Amino acid sequence: MNELHLRIEKALSDRVLRDNLDTFYHNYKESHKRAYEGFDFNELKKEVGKIKFLSKEERLKLFEEFKKNVESAGAKVFEAKDSKEACDYIASVCKRHSSEYVVKSKSMTAEEIGLNAYLEKNGIKPVETDLGEWIIQLAKETPSHMIMPAIHKNRKQVAKLFREHLGVEVEDDDIEGMVRIARHYLREFYFKAKVGITGANVAVSETGTIGIITNEGNGRLTTTIPPVHIVVLGYEKLVKNFKEALKIIRVLPKNATGQIISVYVSWIKGAVESLSNPEGKKELHFVFVDNGRKALMGNPYFDEAMKCIRCGSCANVCPSYGVLGGHVFGHIYTGPIGAILTSFYHDDKRAMEILSLCCGCKACSEICPADIELSELIANIYGGLRFKYGLNTVRGSIYTNILARPKTLKGAAKIGSLVLKSVERSSRLRSKLTPKKHDFRVLPLPKSKSFSAVFKERLEPQQKKVDGKGRVFFYPGCAIEYLYPEVGLSMARLLNRVGLSVSIPDRMVCCGFPAVHDGDRAAAKKIIRQNAFYLPKGDDFDYFLVLCPTCGTTVKSLFSQFTLDMPKEYEKIERMEKKIVNFSKLLDELGLTVKTKGDILFTYHIPCHQNRGLHFSGEGFLKKILPRFYVPMRDKDRCCGFGGSFSIDYPEVSKAILDKKIDSIVSTNASVVVTECPGCIMQIRGGIMKRGLPIEVLHLSEFLDRYVELS
Amino acid sequence: MKRRVEKFLEMSKLVGNNNVVVDMAGFMSVLDEKGDSFDFIKLNSIDGFDRVCSVGKKGIKRALVEADYAIAETGTVVVESSNENFRRATSLSDELFLVIRSSRVLNKLEEIANYMKEHTKKESYISFITGASRTADIEMSLTLGVHGPRDMTIFLIEEEQV
Ligand code: SF4
Ligand code: SF4
Repeated sequence: MNELHLRIEKALSDRVLRDNLDTFYHNYKESHKRAYEGFDFNELKKEVGKIKFLSKEERLKLFEEFKKNVESAGAKVFEAKDSKEACDYIASVCKRHSSEYVVKSKSMTAEEIGLNAYLEKNGIKPVETDLGEWIIQLAKETPSHMIMPAIHKNRKQVAKLFREHLGVEVEDDDIEGMVRIARHYLREFYFKAKVGITGANVAVSETGTIGIITNEGNGRLTTTIPPVHIVVLGYEKLVKNFKEALKIIRVLPKNATGQIISVYVSWIKGAVESLSNPEGKKELHFVFVDNGRKALMGNPYFDEAMKCIRCGSCANVCPSYGVLGGHVFGHIYTGPIGAILTSFYHDDKRAMEILSLCCGCKACSEICPADIELSELIANIYGGLRFKYGLNTVRGSIYTNILARPKTLKGAAKIGSLVLKSVERSSRLRSKLTPKKHDFRVLPLPKSKSFSAVFKERLEPQQKKVDGKGRVFFYPGCAIEYLYPEVGLSMARLLNRVGLSVSIPDRMVCCGFPAVHDGDRAAAKKIIRQNAFYLPKGDDFDYFLVLCPTCGTTVKSLFSQFTLDMPKEYEKIERMEKKIVNFSKLLDELGLTVKTKGDILFTYHIPCHQNRGLHFSGEGFLKKILPRFYVPMRDKDRCCGFGGSFSIDYPEVSKAILDKKIDSIVSTNASVVVTECPGCIMQIRGGIMKRGLPIEVLHLSEFLDRYVELS
Repeated sequence: MKRRVEKFLEMSKLVGNNNVVVDMAGFMSVLDEKGDSFDFIKLNSIDGFDRVCSVGKKGIKRALVEADYAIAETGTVVVESSNENFRRATSLSDELFLVIRSSRVLNKLEEIANYMKEHTKKESYISFITGASRTADIEMSLTLGVHGPRDMTIFLIEEEQV
């Protein structure tokens, strides 16, 4: 077992970590929603994304303006090429002031450059003043979350740390007591230290003012009491003016923890009066850390990541982070953005490991207040790194040679779609050769006859006779084609009954998502262009229906991107895009009347790519048509842990995520789970069968076919 | 203005502040009766009550200061804090009392942008304060007074609408 898998196992068996992250996940989603009441989150997000999206020239111009403004207010500005230069400069300032201690207020940039270790090596004692940072400093660890660095610890562990390191008495569950100890203990150091070190959340160029946010007030004290203040920051913190800065301050705390605003925002301009400095005013330094930033500016991937305002919320919602924590899903920077930043600032091999732990659920992209397309960025950077460190050639050739060529699809067992690859594993699993950790779900076997074959044989001939209320073009996707033909057939029967005719592609080609998610853009391009040939013209149908939201999202967001140079195909896709619907949306638009065939308590799992890709969830629809029978589940839009290849590469992580889903399902007491994604069905049904629970997992089409009368 | 003030009070309450709404006469009688209980007083628009002590490591019990603006959207008070002793008093008091006149309550965060720009053309330190100092770093359990005040009170002085 390699080192990464060992660390994964350790994290998964850490109960404290699991409980803390779980509580936080659940509370966060609620408070995030409350904090944005009265705002249009998507609007704000676009605004912030725009503010932070700057070209290299613009960013450097802002820097020059900022520099001029702070220098004229008595501050010094130093540009450090790399971590070492930054640390050297800071240490030399501390030495000049014979500062035995320095107080620090949480700064990710200081973490990035490894400042604490460097200062210690030089005989200077840094004291973290943010309670969370201080706790992990005592524990000699790195932060496991950008905003809540000690989220992986519980009160008992903190009490123990305090007793061991501070020689104080404190009860295991006396949190207030621990906070009092911190207050008392740390107060000393503000007055002992000659230097205070902080980061900055925003740097306003028009005046040269920085904004620092804290809840504890430690930032305010760190910048007030000591005679010297050093600010460590990256060029990405610069904004033009206060209007922009305030927009960032508006979203940052809301996204970070669901707080309306942080308790303190300290706005500092220049060398203000200082009581402890013999000169009577503060000695103020700005250390701008390059660390490759300048070289990477102008690169579309890096520019996108530069928009980050370090709110940490991408980690809050990430299902993989949610079971692994930031010491596995992160390096110095944690969570989804951490995966990306690690590839820029730290070890890119380590970055590749983290990136590979992404299951592609898009929760991070949805929550990011700076409008960063994180999941796409992750896939693309992963693709680049895999190229450097060796492409998984087996998977690569599966994409280009098999998935893109429908003719070679003879017999489902040979198909390399990742969905099917997991099935293939499962048959081997049944032969008991596969390690136990893969055995957490029962997987289906490929059907002997594909959906298309059955449809053409049994249903196609009668389509002309269907009452012409509308024409539906159905795009089956690999999973329905080979694993769950009945899902497609239920849908076709149902639509025929209410007067809509159904047609399907002449040939089935994978939508290309597995390749996209793996960052294999070349293969993805090939597959998508193949698709483009086989799709009908936009005016041949009224609806383009998908029963797999992942296929739907790929068609909707990527097909046009990959056919830019094919005028006819592009046009076809452009016209088609507007007609893409999932099943619940289609039924909702048809406005059918509904009657259940008896009492049935059901719940609904929102597939990741449903809400976040197709922007329509069946939940509202079902609640509307069957209000008496629907029970909502806790964290209903949380990923089920499937993620295609992810669940094969990291079965233990996939299982941990699935366990949470199944626990939520069980606590609803529903006897049916309805969802609209074959991947989710495979995962959830498989897990439920493995646990032997009397709960059915059905696609919406099967559910309606079986339990409801529509007319 | 009424709606703005109400929103401010609502948001201020949400972060756990005690809100006291008074008119000018009412506030003057608070000063007369309780003025002595404050270690530090700094009021910009009311003369004759300021009391300044130097604030050290031990901190002080109670500080009463006047804010320059308030922001309804977030329940925030904006306090010009360039004087270090003033900053110490507001950071190191156990209980912090903030006075704000109703005419100084702004609606949205952006409305303070101009003031910020004009005011920070020169060396300065401005604090936004929204509630007592707090942490949730141990098991996400909210605890007040980790470094700064444990308790915060807002005196909102209602003024006649002009
Ligand atoms: S796409 Fe999902 S799994 Fe991947 S990093 Fe984002 S939140 Fe995490
Ligand atoms: S990437 Fe977005 S969500 Fe993640 S920390 Fe940065 S701003 Fe926040």
